[in-house]
Amino acid sequence: MMSIAPTRRMIVPMGDCGILVRFAAQLDEAANAAAIAFADTLLASPPAGVEEVVPSLVSVFLRYDPLHTDFDTVCGELRLQLTGQHSARAPDTHTIGIIFGGSDGPDLAEVAGALALDPASFIARHNAAPLRVLATGFAPGFVYCGFHPDDLILPRRQNVRPMVPAGSVLFAAGQTAIAATDIPTGWHVIGRTDFRNFDARTDPPTQLRAGDFLTFEAR
Amino acid sequence: MTRLRIDRAGPLVSLQDPGRFGMLSHGISASGPMDTKSFARAGRWAGASDASGVEFTMAGLDLTVLDGETFAGWDGGGFTIGLNGELLDWPGQTRLVAGDRLTISAGPYGNYGYLRFGGRLEVKPVLGSIATSTRARLGGLSGKTLAAGDELVLEGEGGEPQAPEPIAVDEGPIRFVWGLHAEMFSPDVRQAFVAAEFRTTPTMDRMGVRLGDPGGVFANEKILSLVSDPVVSGDIQILGDGTPIVLMRDHQPTGGYPRIGTVISVDLSRFAQIRPNRAVSFTPVSLANAHRILRSQLP
Repeated sequence: MMSIAPTRRMIVPMGDCGILVRFAAQLDEAANAAAIAFADTLLASPPAGVEEVVPSLVSVFLRYDPLHTDFDTVCGELRLQLTGQHSARAPDTHTIGIIFGGSDGPDLAEVAGALALDPASFIARHNAAPLRVLATGFAPGFVYCGFHPDDLILPRRQNVRPMVPAGSVLFAAGQTAIAATDIPTGWHVIGRTDFRNFDARTDPPTQLRAGDFLTFEAR
Repeated sequence: MTRLRIDRAGPLVSLQDPGRFGMLSHGISASGPMDTKSFARAGRWAGASDASGVEFTMAGLDLTVLDGETFAGWDGGGFTIGLNGELLDWPGQTRLVAGDRLTISAGPYGNYGYLRFGGRLEVKPVLGSIATSTRARLGGLSGKTLAAGDELVLEGEGGEPQAPEPIAVDEGPIRFVWGLHAEMFSPDVRQAFVAAEFRTTPTMDRMGVRLGDPGGVFANEKILSLVSDPVVSGDIQILGDGTPIVLMRDHQPTGGYPRIGTVISVDLSRFAQIRPNRAVSFTPVSLANAHRILRSQLP
């Protein structure tokens, strides 16, 4: 259970059918956990007229039907809910097998070097503890996981790779991300997984949800 | 059963329905018609029995009826349409029978046109919708835009074809609601944004429309490092180099560039029809006003 410090949050319209509830301007563990817990609360009992609830890194987006409700009504409901306690659903735990380095992870050596580690030590550190899914949905099935300890934080690459293949395991800014489709990225590519967090033939099409725990396993 | 064959398709001709909503947390924006109003009107012209239709871009498309017959209706933009070489009214409707050839080519204005049918389109929905997502490569025929040689199959008869009243074309500025990051822009920049004239550019597609900023309203806006938040259609996003982009139906699901406001639902259809290199300006409306406008424009 957690309470949300009221001073850090804001509720803003996004066009005439959307509302964003934001818990912080910068990403940190508390704001992320607050956003996920609040989204879970809203998903369990959405305000009338709300058609979609989307957790993000530090915010929750709601899409509503302005023919059936309005901003003030939904906001009133949100403020009420925000004053209560939010218990996130029980998270699932997933194990993700990764092949590190080589052509699957062309940036591994550089990443390890920049952190003054050899690749094997980097892999051991990377996989040492489970990571939490911070957010989903930047691209189909894409997930951000975090947080790595401070001494594993590395900025993004100078150059964006125009395309990396589905299954690429990406590393930057204290996080590891998994691409479920081919995407461009400025993150370091450290490995690859056979796991695909997107299948359009199933509904829902993804398996990982914000708040879940991931254990990475070198294969 | 009615079978149609696409003989020629301009760029980005796609199957659409109202959209694949509810999938943002899985990384998929809703897609759907760029001009939802014209899409709905084309359906009324056609007496459409389902929510599907073909969206085409300026270059249009040609098709042949291989078997069967169906009613067809069209609307959106201003295009030139011919049936077996004879010109028809735009917007309008007709009955198509086996052997007919429908040709649609560029007209005087607009970017997007819609062709809808009385019969029900036989295409398997993906995640509840047949809308083609150019970004996620989902929906339509195997996630692809339509190309010469593709065939569409329709089943059953449609409802009663109608002749919707002509709509007044609103020429005013594009209306938007201040939003997510408006407060991050200085009062001077916000004021300049609503006073300035921008230009549409040829860099436009179903994901977004890049704007020219000849007055340099955003020229000094340095890239801000923002944490990513969800994105909606109509968001006006300012890139790190100061380029404004209006995000459209196949928008990225999340974004980390500042967004000064969001175009109101009613005006996003109108904005989508503005051709490249035209002047465009923006005016803010209150949320309550946006909702009044939306309710007043229900079909």
